[in-house]
Amino acid sequence: MDWGAVVAGLLTLAIYSFLYRDNPVYKFAESLLIGLSIGYALVTFWQTAVLDKLLHPLFHQGQLLLVVPLILGLLMFSRFSRRLSWLSRIPLALMIGAGAGAAIPAMLYERTLRQVSNSIQPLVTSDSQFNFSGLVVLAGLLSTLAYFYFSREHKGFLGGVAKVGTYFMMVFFGATFGYTVMSRMSTLIGRIDFLLTDFLHYLQ
Amino acid sequence: MNSQRTRWAIFASLFALMVISYTITLKWKIPTSPYIQKSYEFINSLPPSSVVIVSFDHEASSLPEIQPISQIILRHLFSRNQRIIGMSLFAEGTAIGYQTLNKLANEYGKKYGEDYVFLGFKPQHIAAILGMGESIKQVFPQDYLGNYSTEIPIMQGVENYQQIAAVISLADGDRTVQWIEYTGKKHGLKILGGFTAAMITTYDPYLSSGQLYSAIGGIVGAAEYEGILGLPGKGNRALLSQTAAHLFIVLLVIVGNIAYFRKRRGEK
Repeated sequence: MDWGAVVAGLLTLAIYSFLYRDNPVYKFAESLLIGLSIGYALVTFWQTAVLDKLLHPLFHQGQLLLVVPLILGLLMFSRFSRRLSWLSRIPLALMIGAGAGAAIPAMLYERTLRQVSNSIQPLVTSDSQFNFSGLVVLAGLLSTLAYFYFSREHKGFLGGVAKVGTYFMMVFFGATFGYTVMSRMSTLIGRIDFLLTDFLHYLQ
Repeated sequence: MNSQRTRWAIFASLFALMVISYTITLKWKIPTSPYIQKSYEFINSLPPSSVVIVSFDHEASSLPEIQPISQIILRHLFSRNQRIIGMSLFAEGTAIGYQTLNKLANEYGKKYGEDYVFLGFKPQHIAAILGMGESIKQVFPQDYLGNYSTEIPIMQGVENYQQIAAVISLADGDRTVQWIEYTGKKHGLKILGGFTAAMITTYDPYLSSGQLYSAIGGIVGAAEYEGILGLPGKGNRALLSQTAAHLFIVLLVIVGNIAYFRKRRGEK
């Protein structure tokens, strides 16, 4: 007997018992899940970051330069002392500076410029066809931007355009919500699959 | 019926419907969407022994949706004799990725270290993605099992993204966006995605701009891919259950609206 599958199956049923009402069995399963997730993440981080990237190369391979990130990392813990907490600003400043330096050009190009350029499409294609999708994208872009333009009251022409913008946003929210429902159903199907195959051995 | 009982009736009916429909096996032809076709054709077009990175960038909670995608992608890659470097940018994806790779590799008689390797997890995903552009072995000096990357046969001749044919990011969040942002322009790397359905609208703009080469979304995407490959799996089986659940929800929405308008008319 696969005891792992038995335990997992019982825990699955314990979690679903919440659909009836909140109960101690559900609370136990929930606490176990949170504890295990945090424990697993902690061990993985310790192994892959602290041991593999710092302590092992520093003490076994003699990479002495790693003393610098070790000290910077330790300075993070100075936040626990009121007197020394200012020291934590040094590694934080380094992290934020390096992070922003790496992120700003990449995000500006890939997330902003590329997306803007893709939103501005010619309305007549190279083979003289009318680009209806391009028109929809243009109308959606301008009307949604108009909705978020708050420097003037949404009345008259601006109000009308902003109203169209809300319809575009509703279509987006509807599509997103529909996909989210699909995702949640898939998660349930995954559990049904587990219960019917691994736990109950009803299906193969 | 009070609202609590209505809730239980809805949950119980939905659950029963999904369980019953899951036990039914239907042989149906699923039409293939353009991005699934594009993913399939891309993998088919790769020369044998190309090196592909498969990154398990998801948590355990999205396993039911991501696993059918990862399985069919890996089956396709292994059947075409491509070499796979597995990795994860999510701690929880590490064990999942290793198990999935091993299971599928065994199906195709592939050898660890030669045909595939699992490098494990790296925290600080942006630093990891950027660092791999310089040297993959420096970011992952050892694989998941503790073998030195320099001594693993598949890693011989693989220095950085120059030797990588594509990255396939299996994600339930925005990790694939980071793959696009930090490798796209700089390295010109092709990024393919496998996502939960909830993330499809997030990635749509990247697909239409071409920054994301192609994507497989949710169980439907997995079922479509299984259809092209002729290997019906979990995606195909789950599709009937998912369709039944969606129809049931649509029915509930219609019934709910009729009940609402009737109640409002009664109040007037």
